[in-house]
Amino acid sequence: MSTHTLSRKQIAELQKDLDVIRDEVMSSLGARDAAHIRSMVKIARGSAIAGRGLLAFGFDPISFVLGVAALAHAKILENMEIGHNVLHGQYDWMNDPKLNSQDYDWDNVCDSGMWKHFHNYEHHTYTNILGKDRDYGYTILRLSPEQKWHPLYLLNPIANAVLALAFEWGVGGHDVQAERYFKGEMSFAQMQQRAKPFRRKIRKQLIKDYVLFPLLSFWNAPRVLLGNFLANLIRNLWAYTIIFCGHFPEGTKVFREEDCQNETRGDWYVRQMIGSANIKGSRWFHIMSGHLSHQIEHHLFPDMPAARYAEIAPKVEAVCRKYGLPYNNASIWRQYGTVLGKVLRHALPSSPAALKPATSGA
Amino acid sequence: MSSVLTAPRTSAFWRAGWLHPLNDRHALEEMLAGIDPLLSLGTVKARLVARQAETASCCSLRFKPNRWWRGFVAGQHLRLSVEIKGVRCERAYSLSTAPQADGCIEITVQRQAGGKVSSYLHDELPLGAVVELSQASGDFTPPTTLPAAGLLLIAAGSGITPMRGLLQTLHARGVAAPGSICLIQVCRSQQDCIYGQELDTLAAQWPALRLIRWYSAQQSRPEAAQLLALAPDHAQRLSYLCGPAGFMRNVESYWQSLPDAAPLHLERFGAAPLELAPDAPAVQVQLQRSGAGFASRRGAALLTEAERAGLAPAYGCRIGICRSCQCRKRSGTVQDLVTGTVSSEPNEWIRLCVSSAQSDLELDL
Repeated sequence: MSTHTLSRKQIAELQKDLDVIRDEVMSSLGARDAAHIRSMVKIARGSAIAGRGLLAFGFDPISFVLGVAALAHAKILENMEIGHNVLHGQYDWMNDPKLNSQDYDWDNVCDSGMWKHFHNYEHHTYTNILGKDRDYGYTILRLSPEQKWHPLYLLNPIANAVLALAFEWGVGGHDVQAERYFKGEMSFAQMQQRAKPFRRKIRKQLIKDYVLFPLLSFWNAPRVLLGNFLANLIRNLWAYTIIFCGHFPEGTKVFREEDCQNETRGDWYVRQMIGSANIKGSRWFHIMSGHLSHQIEHHLFPDMPAARYAEIAPKVEAVCRKYGLPYNNASIWRQYGTVLGKVLRHALPSSPAALKPATSGA
Repeated sequence: MSSVLTAPRTSAFWRAGWLHPLNDRHALEEMLAGIDPLLSLGTVKARLVARQAETASCCSLRFKPNRWWRGFVAGQHLRLSVEIKGVRCERAYSLSTAPQADGCIEITVQRQAGGKVSSYLHDELPLGAVVELSQASGDFTPPTTLPAAGLLLIAAGSGITPMRGLLQTLHARGVAAPGSICLIQVCRSQQDCIYGQELDTLAAQWPALRLIRWYSAQQSRPEAAQLLALAPDHAQRLSYLCGPAGFMRNVESYWQSLPDAAPLHLERFGAAPLELAPDAPAVQVQLQRSGAGFASRRGAALLTEAERAGLAPAYGCRIGICRSCQCRKRSGTVQDLVTGTVSSEPNEWIRLCVSSAQSDLELDL
């Protein structure tokens, strides 16, 4: 699984090149970045108020559709451009208690503390290392021939569909690490203990969307309940699509644990770049995806304010070109299409060698 | 977490998770601020109404606080927070007057060399702008009854700022015994003398006040004994001391050497960056919440140093990515081991795995 042919010297140079890109942005953070995230908070809040208002006070189908759309917009923006990025500590430098990674909680059934553990720590540190990055296939999908096949993977397409529809629940339960219980590595009591914050967060989210707001709208309760459900569903599908395009499209590399020992920051940079994929799109597409459409830049600099990724993307691409590394950037149709292809293909037994021609052809 | 500036609300309404987001305090605060920047649910905010130069490098700022300001006693201080280039910065300042009839409050700010906040308050904060304040705190306040031996106020540089409030309060109370209040003011020169004329005028018309000045540019930096000899009965007087750290250390240790000296009240200010002496082998890191502490070698990551001392702070990647080990540094100077940046900002977030101590530290852990 040799993933590149760079020499130690080249990797040290690459590290320097990327550090320069990073330092240039980080030393110029200021009022513009603060204004961006605050305006996002305002827009998301405005959408949430509008959406919940339309659902609660409207009677007609048009206000229902608009209400669902506004609330879904609010949830997507809050989860992706605000929540995800704030929880990464991208705005900690502002020293604003409202936008701090240690205290922020998002409108998502995933507990923010658990999220920071499996995402910020496990996924961002061990990106695409099979067996260490539990986000690669989320422990239920087989997306690469390097993952050992098992008959249960025949359910790959179904597991994928379920995960897409219930994405926040999959993410929410991810850090419980239930697979370790099934493998006998963890007792039931231990699993229960791990699940505590998840259960607390479930209660909070269910009360909000399915008890509090429906009750507050009296006769409109069923309408509000359904509207909230649909908004959550839309957010799930959107987040799933964007996030699956981050590391699973054709061309992204996976790694073995033994390949990643004694990594320098340069090695780590290389792994982040060739293990991630970008999606092409407009400014608003990038914002609605929390700039995860700039997954490569995000994985290089997870605590750089995401709104800056677009500005450094050409420089990062130039670094890739300079060292002969792939810079995987394509439309959402191409990226997601190849993800779906992998979901289907690797449901069946496959081996890395046998797949070589197919991979290069995709 | 509530802001350092706002007292945590304990009312059940704000804590009720099932009411979320209807009781999202931050969101409500921001929406109120959108209507009027002074409106708030409990945060003290204040509008800058006047700025007046005191010396070439020192000015007084007058603020009108909102209704959440609970008032103060002369000599107390507050923490002021402003946003500079997107970064929220917080500093402590003494209230520099006695309580005023119109409810306004005043602070006096000495421009610090390279000082981000002091320069901003001098040059950029526009009249009419709104800042966030803490409630007043501190016990550097005038005694309820004046002791027979009288008071001694010792101030150096901008250490005079809380003293002015004390004097105004005592003056308003009608303290009259001649010489019962002695003020020793140390300043670099006459031009650098904060409230110079005002205090001269006060001393001229109020016999209770005896004003002694020491100009360090002409007379050299004063030794504590030499300075206090100007008020021979100093050991009997209830005393108040405020000034730069080194000056305060001198006077304090002299005071401790006096037999049967009257109490000495101290007001420390200024987060002057604490630099570790180059040959100092280690610094002391104090953990506020757990009460623990450990010695840290210079240049070594705080996380590994804490672990070496048998402590077990939370951590994740250990290479500065995930922020699992992030905590608030209350005071002290740290260096980021990745970027090399040195910072002395109070109350900033640091990552233990990539920060090394450059001075004694206090951490919120």
